[in-house]
Amino acid sequence: MSGGSQSSLREGREAAAVARPLRWAGLSVAGLLLGGLLACSNDPYPQADADRKVYYTALREAPRTLDPAEAYNVTAHAITGNVYDTLLEYHYLKRPYTLIPGLAEAVPEAEPQPDGGVIYRFRLREGLLFAPDPAFALGGEGRTTREVVAADVAFQLMRLADPEENSPVVDPFSNIAGFREFQQALVAAREADPELASLPPHEQYARVGGIEGVRVLGSHDLEIALSGPYPQILYWFALEFSTPVPWEAVAWYDGVTRDRFDDHPVGTGPYRLTEYDKQFRVILEANPNWYGVQNPEWKAPGAVYPSEGEPGDAEAGLLPPDVVGQPLPFIERIEFRREKESIPTFNKFLQGYYDASGIVKESFDKIVQNDRLSPEMAERGIELSKSIKPTIFYLGVNMNDELLGHPAGERGRLLRQAISHAVDEEQWIELFVNGRGIPAQSPVPPGLFGYEPEYENPARVYDPDRARKLLAEAGYPEGIDPETGKPLRINFDSYATSSAQLLQEQFIADALRAVGLDVRIDATTYNQFQGKVQDGRYQMFFWGWSADYPDPENFYFLLTCDMRRAESGGPNYTNFCDPEFDELFARMRVRDNDEERLAVMREMRELLERERPWIEIHHPETYGLTHAWLKHRKSFGISFPMTKYQDLDVAKRAELRRAWNEPITWPAWALAGVAIAVVVPGIRTFFRERQ
Amino acid sequence: MEAHVFSNLAVVVLLALGAATVVFVRRNRLWSEALAELWRRRRFSVLVVGLYVLIALLDSIAWVGGTGANGASIEAFEARSVIDRLFAGTRESSYSAPLADHAFYGGKPLEAPGTHLLGTDILGRDVLHRTLKGARVALLIGGVTTLIAIPLALLFGVTAGYFGGRLDDAVFFVMSTLASIPGLLLLIALIMALGKGTWQVCLALGVTGWVGLSRVVRGETLKLRELDYVQAARALGVSELRIVVRHVIPNLMHLVIITFVLMFSGLVLSEAILAWLGIGVDGSWGQMIDQARDELSRVPVVWWNLTAAAAALFGLLLAVNFVGDALRDILDPRTLREDG
Repeated sequence: MSGGSQSSLREGREAAAVARPLRWAGLSVAGLLLGGLLACSNDPYPQADADRKVYYTALREAPRTLDPAEAYNVTAHAITGNVYDTLLEYHYLKRPYTLIPGLAEAVPEAEPQPDGGVIYRFRLREGLLFAPDPAFALGGEGRTTREVVAADVAFQLMRLADPEENSPVVDPFSNIAGFREFQQALVAAREADPELASLPPHEQYARVGGIEGVRVLGSHDLEIALSGPYPQILYWFALEFSTPVPWEAVAWYDGVTRDRFDDHPVGTGPYRLTEYDKQFRVILEANPNWYGVQNPEWKAPGAVYPSEGEPGDAEAGLLPPDVVGQPLPFIERIEFRREKESIPTFNKFLQGYYDASGIVKESFDKIVQNDRLSPEMAERGIELSKSIKPTIFYLGVNMNDELLGHPAGERGRLLRQAISHAVDEEQWIELFVNGRGIPAQSPVPPGLFGYEPEYENPARVYDPDRARKLLAEAGYPEGIDPETGKPLRINFDSYATSSAQLLQEQFIADALRAVGLDVRIDATTYNQFQGKVQDGRYQMFFWGWSADYPDPENFYFLLTCDMRRAESGGPNYTNFCDPEFDELFARMRVRDNDEERLAVMREMRELLERERPWIEIHHPETYGLTHAWLKHRKSFGISFPMTKYQDLDVAKRAELRRAWNEPITWPAWALAGVAIAVVVPGIRTFFRERQ
Repeated sequence: MEAHVFSNLAVVVLLALGAATVVFVRRNRLWSEALAELWRRRRFSVLVVGLYVLIALLDSIAWVGGTGANGASIEAFEARSVIDRLFAGTRESSYSAPLADHAFYGGKPLEAPGTHLLGTDILGRDVLHRTLKGARVALLIGGVTTLIAIPLALLFGVTAGYFGGRLDDAVFFVMSTLASIPGLLLLIALIMALGKGTWQVCLALGVTGWVGLSRVVRGETLKLRELDYVQAARALGVSELRIVVRHVIPNLMHLVIITFVLMFSGLVLSEAILAWLGIGVDGSWGQMIDQARDELSRVPVVWWNLTAAAAALFGLLLAVNFVGDALRDILDPRTLREDG
């Protein structure tokens, strides 16, 4: 480089003089950066938490609300289920699902009344405290908590009835005497007196007068009166909807000057919410006021590790002698981290930064091979747990259809039976859900009362020859409609949104075509499908149902006359209606789980074997992955966070995380080498030419 | 009318049109020279396109009954095309690899071992069969859509360009508005409104696809209407409609043909994207690719479905583009001048 003018030459010389120290500074900064790069780790959590029992899990999307009157999805329940304890709970290990007392001292017995109603008496434990919260200052200066009383449960039940809360579970709770009347009275009172609406909810409810069937007798006794038998109500007292809620919290967190109550739960559970950053993380810390911590001597069933489970639990390591009877919770903190993408989340699980995970569909075959963990995963000590969800997928027939439904009488029945024999559900499960599921024999999935593993539905045996014979009996030999001389035409109404879904429906259509029925897939969008259902212009469809609570009633009600889509807009999409079935259902619905109930359910099952409004396909199975350090975890099927029963081996976790996340440094060194090889001669040339 | 009768009639009409075109081209020196040039330059591509057309035509000729049908199945009562008949009785129960003699999972022996050149898909259907059937769907989408889009483009382009003034403003406003809506969004909205199905997809693609050609046509018409022979015709008192039909449109034909060919490949590709969104046409290559999406993550990998559909799609589009480019070089006067 040759300097042009005098001045630029001088400047150049000065620059060179300054550049010498600068150069060293630059090199040392680069060195520091490089050093920092090599020393850094990919651990997303602070070092200080490394030896604490913190359970890490991913949060896909922050729930819209944590208000126990409204929250009704899996993500919300993962938080509310830990923060709010309920009067009753589910046994951690037993299947079928069994209720145990939670905040209540015992599971109440139904007490039938002469007027046809039923009464349940709950007695709350004494000395229960709410988690510490500034809201309790409303009840007296400087207070941070108070005792849980029966009125808190009554208050929450009134909130469920309040139309402003928009609770999704008004229907089941309407079985409580006076529930609807309270709802109407509240609306009427608000209309009559606009002043009322500005008061805090508990004062409004007090003015209206409460629900007739919810009787608070003293501070710890609660009487729930139902207008008729509804044994399933107990399951609703095991859900957060009926948890005690302090009126102070609802009045305090009004969403105007402070947080909304939706974002600030105050409960009685084993954990309490201490940080709620929807974009980053949610933290639950062990609740110091929880009855299990305050009164370990009670050995309450919901506060100690259970001593018995279902057969096989002991072998599976779910009943270790040193843990049985120990006070809960073991894990001191639950940390949810916001994760938007499934594959990075799963990679963090593989690196050991999440303790448990589902299986992403994309990599299912890499993780599970021949129904077992792949050797690579097993080597890491990852465990695979399977649980069958209380869900059913089925092929439904529109029973109002002229050809296939009730109007066709015996002919339609034979046709439905033929269809039932023509679909090979085992092949279906193999092809479309990677074998993750079991063939459904009846509407009732495993884990529920009345599911009998040895029962095989004779109508669900895959037997194309039998199907052809039934077709002939129905008057369609070889599937030929004698009127037209052509194969019988049936529409399969599809609302598939993906090609993969369409393939599933194509499979069913092909199976029916193989026995001689001309099944055409009528593919529309979901909205158009709903339109067809509205007008009754549909014949066959594919549908599924997931249990709200583990009672067979929640499945059989889908086939009752009252729930018919065409009549009442209910979820009975088949429009199946059979007085005999309804009569059996009415008997089954109100019985406790005993031999007689089982006998009634068998009768219903038999009726469905004959009638076939549903052609049951499968109950899906969920596969979960856990690391070896997460101890005595049993998957639960329904969405209850059973975190308090689980434990972590923190030392093992730290060790394995280190081993799995060895920084690979050679690329950095190689890169640095290349950089030096390129930059140093360049700098030297630059300065040489300057001079 | 039954679908297959309609399809057979369409084949007859297409063949008649093809014959008429041949006669026309033979009589017309300009066109026959141009096509001779095309044949000289892109012999192979023209043959490939011809092969696809042949397969599509064979798949369009269908009739009921005849040999090869499995008696117990309803196939005997359905119209099956020539292609279907070639593959009769080759159904398996699920995946099998190309030319394998046992099932891909479970290892059970196949019904027709060693006959599946490209294997079978998840439902046991022969992949080669499905791939060949895809040709008809692709040509149908490309053809029908261009037949919707080109008249629209000509109508609007010529009216705007020839008559000008307020009419031009109005047409141009419509075109600009359509062009400013993201194409894919408009497509999805249209299909949601019209419903699923081949004709609906073609209509949606046609309605969204005419703007580009229309602009070119308008520009060209603006130029043409000032030319001497148009002025002369006008001075002689020839009616406007006659001028447009006699002098303007014939001089736009080279543009139309070039755009037709180039648009064609774009449309087939658009359908593949729609299939990805779950609103494509049944039986298309796009749908095959979409269905094969999960197959790549299977262990061991199921690659033949995706590969077959992608190769078929690629082959057609490449050949059509080669032909289109050559046609542009030959027909467009500007490039012609540069050449010679």
